[in-house]
Amino acid sequence: MSNKTILIVDDDPDVRLGLNIRLKANHYNVVFAADGMASIAEARKHAPDLIILDLGLPAGDGFSVMERLKANDTLALIPVVVMSARDPSANRERALKAGAKAFLQKPVDNAKLVALIRKVLGEKDLTPNLVHDLGEV
Amino acid sequence: MMNEKTVRILLVEDNPGDARLLRIFLAEAGSTTMELTHFGCMSDAASHLQGGEVDVVLLDLGLPDAQGLGAVRQVHAIAPGVPLVVLTGLDDETTAAQALQEGAQDYLIKGQIESHGLRRALRYAMERQRMQVETEQIRKQQLQLKDEFLSHVSHELRSPLTAIYQFVSILVDGLAGELRPEQSEYLRLTLRNVRQLESMIADLLEVTRVQTGKLNIEPQRASLSDAITDTVHMFEGSVAAKGITLSANIPADLPLAYLDPSRVRQVLINLVSNAIKFTAQGGEIKLQTRIFEEDPGLLVVEIADTGCGIKPEVSKLIFDRLYQATDAGEHGRKGLGLGLYISKELVARQGGSIWVRSEPQKGSSFFFTVPIFSLASLIGPILTNEVKPDDAIAVLVVEMDSQDGWLSPDVRIAMSNVARALLQRCLLPDLDVVLPKMDSGDAQELFFAVACTNKQGAEVMSRRVREQFRRSERLQQAGLTFTVSCSFLPPILRNVNEPMGEFVGHVAAGVQELINTMIIARSVPA
Repeated sequence: MSNKTILIVDDDPDVRLGLNIRLKANHYNVVFAADGMASIAEARKHAPDLIILDLGLPAGDGFSVMERLKANDTLALIPVVVMSARDPSANRERALKAGAKAFLQKPVDNAKLVALIRKVLGEKDLTPNLVHDLGEV
Repeated sequence: MMNEKTVRILLVEDNPGDARLLRIFLAEAGSTTMELTHFGCMSDAASHLQGGEVDVVLLDLGLPDAQGLGAVRQVHAIAPGVPLVVLTGLDDETTAAQALQEGAQDYLIKGQIESHGLRRALRYAMERQRMQVETEQIRKQQLQLKDEFLSHVSHELRSPLTAIYQFVSILVDGLAGELRPEQSEYLRLTLRNVRQLESMIADLLEVTRVQTGKLNIEPQRASLSDAITDTVHMFEGSVAAKGITLSANIPADLPLAYLDPSRVRQVLINLVSNAIKFTAQGGEIKLQTRIFEEDPGLLVVEIADTGCGIKPEVSKLIFDRLYQATDAGEHGRKGLGLGLYISKELVARQGGSIWVRSEPQKGSSFFFTVPIFSLASLIGPILTNEVKPDDAIAVLVVEMDSQDGWLSPDVRIAMSNVARALLQRCLLPDLDVVLPKMDSGDAQELFFAVACTNKQGAEVMSRRVREQFRRSERLQQAGLTFTVSCSFLPPILRNVNEPMGEFVGHVAAGVQELINTMIIARSVPA
């Protein structure tokens, strides 16, 4: 049973709600932010174990969020998984370079998402499917 | 302004009388200054034309060293963007008309030329050329706009699709309460349609990548049988559900291929899912592979079904973009008609080809080829006839290892692609070549690069490769360590009587041996 906290940063309320239900069912605490600015404040407030970050956000896009996280010694340690509808060929490399653990393209398969979260949180071994999200230039 | 600028005319005319007459016509009063440079033959005119200082060419079609359409083509080959007006005799309008088809802007008939007409013809020729260039630019811009639009739309479609997928799967998984079997079935049906929509969007994006040249292909030494076996496993469920048998026949001694495994899988998935779609219950789909009878350098894969088949007049069209079977009705919904087009591109980009043989009502056989892996064919291009005595073949081995075992073997394979791209960055085009990952017999990841350069050059390259690896944040983030080592084949002097092909074979064997010794040396603990 996990009681770890995940911060979801996405400007789409439907995505936030859907992820909330899915992650709660997997016994995670879930907190939210709907824009870039709020994401930093929420990260400070809750000190989450993981951040799931959209790229297209109001008030500071995903890349600038990662930049600001990196600039803070405490926040820099929180693992970030980018989850975006954008073209991976143009954004995966950039996201990983900015410090993301993985780039997932929406819509993300539920089993894959949960497996990745467990892996990043060091909870359980991963399914081999992860390859496609970590590697490949 | 056109009016103020001097128009530089190149006249290619071997008849001094005609040339003089034209010069007189052009010298007559006009608002534009026309500057005439005259040559009597094509070879002299060609070097002037190459200089680029020409606005329009006046070309006689009866030169001593170039006649008729040949002359037109020569001018176009040297200066494709320069407008051309041809000069012909009264009795030769056919050639003149052909010259227009070859891209000349206009023709003038000797003996009927007068000053104003000549000036007008030249000015029109330049103006038409300018308009053509402009139209072409606009066309390219519009194509680019269309690609950007497609790419944008596809991404925007993904957002609502994500929400639909999330909530339907929440219902299916019972996270919002228990469902009646019927409800559960309908929701699964919805999910299936979501997946279909998702794969259509993926196809759309793939097509924009094809058209903008952004399709990424990474060939390596890999097993074609693995790709086939994986694909067959993947479809086991869906063929069982439809009552079709799916089998693969792969010879045990099939040579390794040079391909991008994920791209070949993409092609196989496409062809097999098509076969399933068009094959009725009780039917059969067979996959086979063998060395291609018509070219021993290739492997051929055959996907044969007992489906409805394809009419001969249609089988040529099915690989075109947006082509779809018009009578797909009973076989389910139409797709976007992009799958085979994408497959054709993927196969071609890996050095193979794709085709179909089919008989209506009996079934179809799709074939595609991939190159067999051969060290000699990879090394071949860097070995030229001018191999110098001090040319050394450098073999660079990059070995990767995970520091903390955090990454699965699959992830390490993915990281190997990163490493290969880094390696590629350090090489000189045409002089060096990266060899794909080769079997090392142990679990560690190994990569090889071969360089045909002098010894000093190879050492410089090896330093650059080390530097690149040290700087790669991606590799460090992934917790990978690496070692780079460099060895040299002794300089090999090519025997004058030895055919190039044999020489390449000898070098390839030497490289293979060097690789083997390096692997053995590294696997012995220090």
